[in-house]
This record gives sequence, C-alpha cells and structure tokens, in this order.
Amino acid sequence: MPAIEFEHVSYQYKSGVKALDDVSFTIERGELVVLMGENGSGKTTILKHLNGLLKPTEGRVIIDGTDTRTATVAQLAAKVGLVFQNAEEMFFESTVRDEVAFALKNFGYSEDVVKRRVEWALRFMELDAYAENSPFILSGGEKKRLALAIVLAWGPEIIALDEPTIGQDSLQKEKMAEMVRLLNTQGKTVIMASHDVEFVADLSPRIILLSRGKVMGDGTAEEVLTDVEKLAKCSILPPQVVATLTRLQDLSITRRTLSVEAAAREVVEKIWR
Amino acid sequence: MALSLFEGLRFKPGKSFVHKLDPRAKLLTSLLILITAFMYTDVVIISILLLLEYVLIRIAGVSGMWLKTLRGALPLAAIIFVITFFARMADKGMAFITFYESFAFAYRLVVFLSSFSLFFLTTTPEEIALTLTKLRIPYQYTFAFVSAIRFTPVLAEEMQSIMDAQRARGLELDKGGFLQRIRKMIPVLVPLLVNVLRRSYELAEAMEVKCFGVSKNRTYLKELRPTSKDYAFTAVVVFLFAMVVVARVFYIQPALHIFGLLGLLS
Repeated sequence: MPAIEFEHVSYQYKSGVKALDDVSFTIERGELVVLMGENGSGKTTILKHLNGLLKPTEGRVIIDGTDTRTATVAQLAAKVGLVFQNAEEMFFESTVRDEVAFALKNFGYSEDVVKRRVEWALRFMELDAYAENSPFILSGGEKKRLALAIVLAWGPEIIALDEPTIGQDSLQKEKMAEMVRLLNTQGKTVIMASHDVEFVADLSPRIILLSRGKVMGDGTAEEVLTDVEKLAKCSILPPQVVATLTRLQDLSITRRTLSVEAAAREVVEKIWR
Repeated sequence: MALSLFEGLRFKPGKSFVHKLDPRAKLLTSLLILITAFMYTDVVIISILLLLEYVLIRIAGVSGMWLKTLRGALPLAAIIFVITFFARMADKGMAFITFYESFAFAYRLVVFLSSFSLFFLTTTPEEIALTLTKLRIPYQYTFAFVSAIRFTPVLAEEMQSIMDAQRARGLELDKGGFLQRIRKMIPVLVPLLVNVLRRSYELAEAMEVKCFGVSKNRTYLKELRPTSKDYAFTAVVVFLFAMVVVARVFYIQPALHIFGLLGLLS
C-alpha cells in the first residue's frame, strides 16, 4: 500500500483561487520527495491536504489507506507530522521540553512514554542542552530543529516539511539535509516543499514540479533539475552546476549532471581534447 | 465563525455612491445609528435601522462582506442574550418581556457592529486617517488606530494559521466542554500575542527609520472636500435622526405597542 495517493485532486480556496488543478501522484513508503514550483504553485496546499487541514474540493487524498475526507485532523496527524514554514512562531510553552511534550499529551500517551519520547527527540535533534530553556530565546536554526523535534517525538510514518531551509545559514542547511537523510534511511516517508535548488540538488530526491496548481514534471533530481526549459516555465533557476554546463555549450558539452565533480571532469576532458 | 467578524473591517474597493461619500458623512451616519440603537430596545426600530444599513450596503455592493460581519457578530450577540436574560429574569421573572428585551439587547449589538462595518468596508485606511485628523485627533493616535484596523485582517489570517499548526499537533479545538475549549485556546493566543508584540516592535522601528514624527506640521496628498451630494446625504441622515429623537420623546415603541395589543405583556 502506498504511503500517499493523490487522485485527480483539485482545491479551490474560499476566495475563488484554484490552488490545485487535477493533481495526481503516488508516493511509496520510504520515499524522499520534494515539491518544487513558483510561489502560489500549490506546494503548501498539497502539504495541508496530507493531514486533512484541507480537504479536496474534487478527487481524493489517501494516506496509508485512509481517505482524508473520512478522518479528523488529529487522526491523520498521528500518521503525518507536518512542520509548518513558520512553525517556530507557534511556540507557547515556557520550556523546550514542554513544547515537545504538548503534542504527545494531545495524542494521549502516558506520562512515562511522554518523558522517554521527549528525551529521545531532543537528543536526536541535538537540543537536549536547551531542554529547560524558553523556546523563544533559541536561535533561528535551533527553533527550526525544535519544530522538527516536536513532530518526530510522536513518531509519524510520514514527515512533511514546508520550506525547511528558509532563513537558515549554510551550516544549518547542511544540518537540516543531514537530518532529512537520516530520517529517510530510518524508513520514514519524507515529503518537502522547497525553493532551494542547491539544497534539493544536494539531497537528490524524487522531485514533483508544480506550476499554477498543476503537475509539470515528476522524476529524479537529475532528470528534473537538468531540464532548464521546464524549470524556467516554473520560474525556477537551475542549480549553479547545471547553469554553468548550459553556458559551456560552445565546448559541445551535452551532459547534464548535478555532480560538481562529474561536471568538472567533463569540462577538463573537453578542454584537453 | 467569530473570525468572519474581522472581514467586515477590511476595505473593499468600489466606485459606488457610498464609496465616494465624504468619510465624515459616513462616520456620522454610523454614529447616529449607534446612538439610535442605544436609545431604543424596540425590535421594529432596530429592524428599520438594519434595513437602512442594508440599502446602503446594497448600493455599495459589499453585501457579502457585511453578511460575514453579521454572522461573526452572532456568537457575541448570543453571549449578550444569555447574560441579559439571566439578569432580567431575577428582576422580572420568566415572562415574555424578559425574553423580548434580552433579544432586543442582542439584536442592537448586531446593528451597532454592522453599522461600523458599513463605514470600514467603504472607507480606505487613508480616508479614515484624514477623517480622524480633521477631528483634531493627534496623528500619532490616528496612525495607531489605522494600523490596528489595517492589521486586523492580517491577525485573523495569522490566528487561522496558528490554529492549523496546533491542530497538526493533535489539538482538537472543537472538542470538550465550554471551559475545556477556552483552555485549549491558550496554545493559539500565546503565539498570537507574541507575534503581535514582535510585529509592533518591527513596525515602530520601521516608522522611526522613516523619520515618523519629525515634522510637526503634516501635509496631506489628498484633502477632504465635501460636495453637494455629501451635504444632501448628511442632511437626510440628520433629519431622520431628529425624527427618531422626537419619537423617543413621545415614547413611541411600535413593537411594545403591538405586543400590548396581542396581550403578551400582561
């Protein structure tokens, strides 16, 4: 059974804006998928469909065999952990520990389990040193990691991240990529919305390309991020390595790769010849 | 539902007669409707006020947003009804008049809120600022007020997104008894308050950077210049209000009169 199925999903906001238009795709368990597209392309709308915050106006969304129209947000949230773009602006508890424990208490775990899971999540996200600190005084990167720790604590099978690298420096981005890879190797299904082509190219996931609520492309990172024309249609600049190779057409370099090493080898070979 | 109340504070652009009216004439109309609603606890009079508002709203073409304000005002009206009902019951007992007066109190709150919705839906924040300045209110206060109006819909959106985020953490806001539901609002209200404070600091800094308050004599790009239509409209509104005052002096209460004829007040 696939982890996520979108069957001809359309969604129209009350304002009349059609955010999704006949979107279909399937994501298997343990896959790492990134949604890419311009602002307003429907990335966040797709993520909000995963835990039932939004229900499709047409078509259906099936999460782990459950039609989202037949389940509550709380039931779906147990399976799908959604980290919002500004999740760090939703903190309200007085300590980092309580902030992580909040969702576990909502899901009805016993005190003993809550304590164990909180400790594990804080250690996993390298936040255990800040357990008794206020979440409001953490740095930007720590807040992002806390938002992820909150979701990891209740152990959902699907992790959804909305723009996890926004406002992060390169070191924090690297840390985030490391965490995402680690979660994926642990068998979690990870779906993420991102604008950050370099971050995505580095992760090398499956990419679903969106524009104006429609799926424009679906394939490996190498397939999607080297298709410069299609990326342009979705207002996305290609990764720097692809842009460089594209400008070196005079050297009759036709290969498109996301690997800097492979690109450098190719250029050196052509020049020597 | 209550969030829809804020929709009625958002300016909706238009070119109608009401949009073009001098904002002072519209503010006066809203204030006179408010005073009339406070003078009467008569459902017939309050219904006439609501009907007059509706006519203006239709002319302005903003009935959709106005109806949202009415819907949003219903929970507040329900609270007023319950409080008034129990307060009056202790005094007058479980009589028809107790029920009627409680209903009228709640009803006039709806009229009051919707009258200001008419003003805000058809007046730009800049016009509101100009109106208040012409009323000799210091610009600092005017700016604070207009900013509050301008940010209200933003706050409503922010509240919705915080609610979504907390629901994604398994918080079931619509489950449990009354007190439990109120307690469940803490995870929504605390981040909202923190965000409001953060935004106000950012706004203050942005205003200081733009030299806010340096010049004591402000000048304005646009000036309010009433036309003959504004004077005519204001004259009609003041005339109607004068009639209402006269009717109040002679204690004309149509609904109570009708109920009396039907024998419901005995």
